[in-house]
Amino acid sequence: MNKAVLVSVCISALLIFGAFWFAGKPANVDSSSAVSTVNGKQLIDISAKGGYSPRVVLAKAGVPTVLRVSTKGTFDCSSSLVIPKLQYQKYLQPTGTEEISIGASQARGTLHGLCGMGMYNFQIKFQ
Amino acid sequence: MSSTDADVGLIGPKSDPKIYTFHVHGMHCSACPLLIEETFKELPNIASARASLANHQVIVTGEFAGSPEKIAEELTKLVKSHGYTISLERMKKDAGWKDFVYALPIALVVIVGFLALQKAGLTNLITSSNVSYGTAFVIGLIASVSTCLAIVGGLVLSLSASSAKEGGTWRTQTLFHLGRLGGFFVLGGIIGVIGNSLHLGLTANIVLGIIVALVMLILGINLLDVFHFAKRLQLTMPKWLSKHVVRGAKHDHFLAPVLVGIGTFFLPCGFTQSMQLYALTTGSFLEGALTMTAFALGTLPVLALLSFGSLNIAHKPWKGIFFKTAGIIVIALALFNLANAFATAGIINPLFNF
Repeated sequence: MNKAVLVSVCISALLIFGAFWFAGKPANVDSSSAVSTVNGKQLIDISAKGGYSPRVVLAKAGVPTVLRVSTKGTFDCSSSLVIPKLQYQKYLQPTGTEEISIGASQARGTLHGLCGMGMYNFQIKFQ
Repeated sequence: MSSTDADVGLIGPKSDPKIYTFHVHGMHCSACPLLIEETFKELPNIASARASLANHQVIVTGEFAGSPEKIAEELTKLVKSHGYTISLERMKKDAGWKDFVYALPIALVVIVGFLALQKAGLTNLITSSNVSYGTAFVIGLIASVSTCLAIVGGLVLSLSASSAKEGGTWRTQTLFHLGRLGGFFVLGGIIGVIGNSLHLGLTANIVLGIIVALVMLILGINLLDVFHFAKRLQLTMPKWLSKHVVRGAKHDHFLAPVLVGIGTFFLPCGFTQSMQLYALTTGSFLEGALTMTAFALGTLPVLALLSFGSLNIAHKPWKGIFFKTAGIIVIALALFNLANAFATAGIINPLFNF
């Protein structure tokens, strides 16, 4: 009995530890390919399908910015986009590109975007 | 109580009404005490009966012959079919804490498996962007093992395990699934015709997400069957849910499981919502209806496995382990959904990344 408890606790601890290690892997930071500047406007491209990519974007603060979220046969949660700070919510078309303008005054700090159920997310770090 | 036979305990000769306190094993719901009271009061020799969910006791006043053990046995016969046992002693939880030895690792394996599935990038299997009924079916299949599982599957598991635990039958589960399929057909058709989504707004979505998470949390804690405070919590749950869905299982409540099935159309599940978005572009009742039905059919295998599986296991000797495993999984999913709802509301930063 005690042995069984011990084995059970060990396996459980291992699984919990494993899950955290698994879910907590650092996200790939991408700022070069996702951010471009056209006519003084900062463009950020994020693709949405089975999550958002890139997950972390480094961008310039205080610049009028357009966030372009593109979907391609996206039927999962990432098609229902929510940006709490901008009070933005939209169900994106399965295939298409959505442009969201972020004013210069809003382009500061960290902007979190996530899907309607919260499983997928991305962040834009304005610095 | 007459004093003449006080020394011989409860064995009285006849006539004088006596008060007995018995323990009730198997009381789970807010409607249980009422049912027990009503059943006992029908006996001619019982003057009054008061059952309490909080301490799992029933106090009966009446005229009895025979030993208290005998009385408990007689009373048990009356309510046995509802799953209650009347006894003198508080019945020990025969399948109690030691079930966790198995339940905890099993539950964790399932949870880690769920996380791994999310990382596996199943959604990339969907390559076409125009939706045939076949695609809708495949999307349903994928949805049923993806993030939707956390909310729809979690709810189905918690409701069906609770229902099975309370003695519910296959009928409840079947009605739920028929309600879901029928609801998706009709509502899918409606959004196809009116070309307008029945999406809930962001706030409604968050509120709904939180409510579903809380219901799952309470049902999950009840499935664990170790904390008595949760039984009292259930009283605060909407009456229609505690009474009709969880318990009404056995009797003539056809409507509740059907309504819950239809209601899953509105649950915050990304897949469901994007399918709805597609259905409304079809502009026809039949196309919208069939698309949504194909999607719902795709989700059916996994959901049916969850609900009929719970029902089947509820009669196996290791059901104690199953209910505790289900309880842990449901609680974990409830907390997951709760954290996600708060993150969506912008209250906390997202905790999970897939």
